[in-house]
Amino acid sequence: MATAWPEKRRLIGKKHSRLDGPDKSTGHAKYSFDVNRPGMLHAKILRSPYAHAKIKSIDTAAAEKMPGVKAVQVITGPGKEVFYAGDEVLALAADTEEHLLDALRAVKVEYEVLDHLVKEEDALKATDKKTTPGGRKNNLSVGEEFTRGNVEAAYKSAAAVVEGQYGVPTICHQCLESHGLVAEWQGDRLTVWCSTQATEYTAQLLAQHFKVPVTQVQCITHFMGGGFGSKFGPDIQGITAAELAKKAGAPVKLMLDREEEVTVGGNRPSAYGTVKMAATKDGKITAYEVDCFGTPGVGNSPTVNLQMMPYVYDLGDVIPNIKRKHTVVRLNAGAARAMRAPGHPQNCFLTDCAVDDLAAKLGMDPLEMRLKNLPANSTEAAKDAALSFAAMRGDIFAKEMEIAARLSKWKDKWHPPGAGQGVVKHGIGMALHTWGGQASPQPNDCTVTINRDGSVTAQTSTQDLGTGQRTVTALVIAEVLGLEQKDVTLKFGESQYGRSSGSGGSTTCPSQAPATLRAAVAARDELFDKVAPKLGAKKEDLAIEPGKVVDKAGGKSWSWKEVCARLGMDQAKGQGTWTYAMSTQDDNKGVSNNGVGGVQVAEVAVDTETGVVRCTRVVAVQDCGLVVNKQGCESQVAGGVIMAVNYALFEERIMDRHTGRQVNPDMEFYKLGGIEDMPHITVHMHDMPERGVIGIGEPPTISTCAAIGNAVFNAIGARVPFAPFTPARVLAALATKGGKG
Amino acid sequence: MNDAQGHNKHGPGLTRRQFLKGSGATAAATALATAPVPAFAGAAEEEEKAERAVGMGPGPVKLQLNVNGKTLDTSVEPRVTLLDALRNYLDVTGCKRVCDRGTCGACTVMLDGKTVYSCTTLALEAQGKAIKTAEGLAPDFPAGAIDPVPAAFVKHDAQQCGFCTPGFVVSMRAALDKNPDATPAEVEEGLSGNICRCGTYEQMRHTIAALCKAERKEG
Repeated sequence: MATAWPEKRRLIGKKHSRLDGPDKSTGHAKYSFDVNRPGMLHAKILRSPYAHAKIKSIDTAAAEKMPGVKAVQVITGPGKEVFYAGDEVLALAADTEEHLLDALRAVKVEYEVLDHLVKEEDALKATDKKTTPGGRKNNLSVGEEFTRGNVEAAYKSAAAVVEGQYGVPTICHQCLESHGLVAEWQGDRLTVWCSTQATEYTAQLLAQHFKVPVTQVQCITHFMGGGFGSKFGPDIQGITAAELAKKAGAPVKLMLDREEEVTVGGNRPSAYGTVKMAATKDGKITAYEVDCFGTPGVGNSPTVNLQMMPYVYDLGDVIPNIKRKHTVVRLNAGAARAMRAPGHPQNCFLTDCAVDDLAAKLGMDPLEMRLKNLPANSTEAAKDAALSFAAMRGDIFAKEMEIAARLSKWKDKWHPPGAGQGVVKHGIGMALHTWGGQASPQPNDCTVTINRDGSVTAQTSTQDLGTGQRTVTALVIAEVLGLEQKDVTLKFGESQYGRSSGSGGSTTCPSQAPATLRAAVAARDELFDKVAPKLGAKKEDLAIEPGKVVDKAGGKSWSWKEVCARLGMDQAKGQGTWTYAMSTQDDNKGVSNNGVGGVQVAEVAVDTETGVVRCTRVVAVQDCGLVVNKQGCESQVAGGVIMAVNYALFEERIMDRHTGRQVNPDMEFYKLGGIEDMPHITVHMHDMPERGVIGIGEPPTISTCAAIGNAVFNAIGARVPFAPFTPARVLAALATKGGKG
Repeated sequence: MNDAQGHNKHGPGLTRRQFLKGSGATAAATALATAPVPAFAGAAEEEEKAERAVGMGPGPVKLQLNVNGKTLDTSVEPRVTLLDALRNYLDVTGCKRVCDRGTCGACTVMLDGKTVYSCTTLALEAQGKAIKTAEGLAPDFPAGAIDPVPAAFVKHDAQQCGFCTPGFVVSMRAALDKNPDATPAEVEEGLSGNICRCGTYEQMRHTIAALCKAERKEG
């Protein structure tokens, strides 16, 4: 069955309020953290206070006698090592949180404290020391050097060469609803209310762990308080909670506290590097060289997307001379997890900042320099995939640059770096980004049922993290059936409602919206099949109009309710599935797609006496193919920008070399901006409906940090090499150029 | 007023509490009215309350809270915060536990119309006061009207994951209650104790702009 979006779209592409808005804003929405089950116990994990230690002994005898204690679960037993401050040792469950905290203090654990490394620079020097798990001789994995062309020769013939240090710190996801779940057993059946980005995957992992069929595990995620890539699966704390619930014979709630959330719940790895870049006198980039490192903590992931360095400007492998090297530095710190566009913000920073430094050396407007280096459309891709990103990327970036320049008044506002007058200096900067956002390779299902009273229900196991997916699902059904969103009753976010993939990689909307479209169309067709004879019409003549069904041949029309009443005791049902593979079939072109571009311009005011940077304005131009809910898209883009303003100005995981612990596992010394710290944001959705649906969650947070970095450079005429651009770093940068900017 | 001032006013070696007790100011209101330093009448009451609290705990004590106009009874250990009493003992979960140390504002509730961080307020301190949470702005939810503040959050999409939202809604409601003519900048200042992670501040500004206009018209 060929799939296509309706040609005339009544609802899709317009602004709609999110369906669950009233539940959330009035505090009635029940998140996993809010679930209180009858007889429920509270659980908490005792964690290693040491960054690296061997557990010598564990004594829970006293704790088990404390009031209210119901179950104990050892996670890391005697003889085993813990590898960071926060690593799990054991967990207790008790009747109240007060009893629980008292009992945890009564647990006695003896540790043999071992050497640790928590700073990248220390681990890079300690080449004979290994303090992290795995079979390496030290904490470093030095990647193979990649070369294209000859950078050394390119430097010799270049009109300008710049070399500099650039870097972004490790930042923590800081989900406001921490990781965790409530677990409840009924015989061999397990129900969890889990704060997760993947209901079905979470149920699968729990089923595997407890060796029960997946049909006996139900994962419920009706509302979810932020994940940003850090919440896939039950994790250790989820499995522990379910173990404790089994032992105690009672429901157990285990949600991480803030310190745990920050140290254990995930982080975006740091990336620091030396970048060298060369260009011709008219600004064409001829060489890019990077030698960088970053840390995934005790994790194993790379910390940049090395194949995409340099970033956007090398799409299509067009820069003739490239040399790149990356070292993964493992530390005794919480493991990195995917965080909103993994690798890309780092790539962007280590590319786009050098572009501005090079433009300055050439005396060019960096916008002009970018225009000279935009990736070209791929003529190869255009042959059989005219709507693919590769076929369109040159046009997309050029158009978005034009829009961003116009909305930001770039031509009026840009000035040579450091040229402004006064103590508080204005600066403007720009950066570009790209992302995938295709449908998941795993099947996503949606089922739509039309009932004889005219009501419509839909069910899907996918989850709404606050992205607005619930609203998208209802919107697509309402569009196809001529109804309003409120007419659709959703059964949403429970693993038993069919197949769905985790919400990562901006894949949910491009997976779920087409599945919903197919389900709604199938339900409509079944309705027509069943009622056409009773209406005295041919089913192929029936069509939907807002609130009614019309017989195009006979000229008659009936209200939606009248038509549905003809179902009698029956109902009309449609099931829809979507996968990445389906999206590439010839008769499905333009339903969902892959690849987006984005351009952001930031303005700052830098106080050259105090070093304080304020970001005053951001213009974000973003495409995501077919915009389903414009309001939801704009919110995602503004949200991505704000998250990255924090990245640029405030956030940093600070580790203490001596204790091996994070200094700021909280929200007061781990800085996050409030409303008064935020710029005014102009979002422009560059709608390209012909391309079909593409995910939007990740791309808008990629380039903001680099754009702000470039704006600060433009303001003071000196590069602040490392984010966050704190007053100390700004003043240090000003000092290097001999005083005020 | 701190203890040092109490010492100074009533001579050395005598605490304020001892002085008030010595002057015959017992818990009875009539006695307080005749106390020699009328300015201290309220303080004496507080002192008496504090003195009574010394004998409480560590086991659970009875707790009666007035939440969104309803009287709710439970018992908690005296160390339990208002936030935990509401969430863990009374199933009032609109106020969220996020930082749990008075930074992020997700636990914001009104006590007699003034916003407090319920994570750094003891439940026992909230007795006898009118507690309002976000749920109180839509008491008959999902039926019935909802307050213009949460309604504007919905209209302008000033929420994504929504976990910080009830705290923001309560803070904004309180800022507008305090000053119905508040400017957008003043309302923003009223939200400076709240943190959002999804990044809804831009949409919140749209909300504030609409509300400041609406609130003025009503006024």
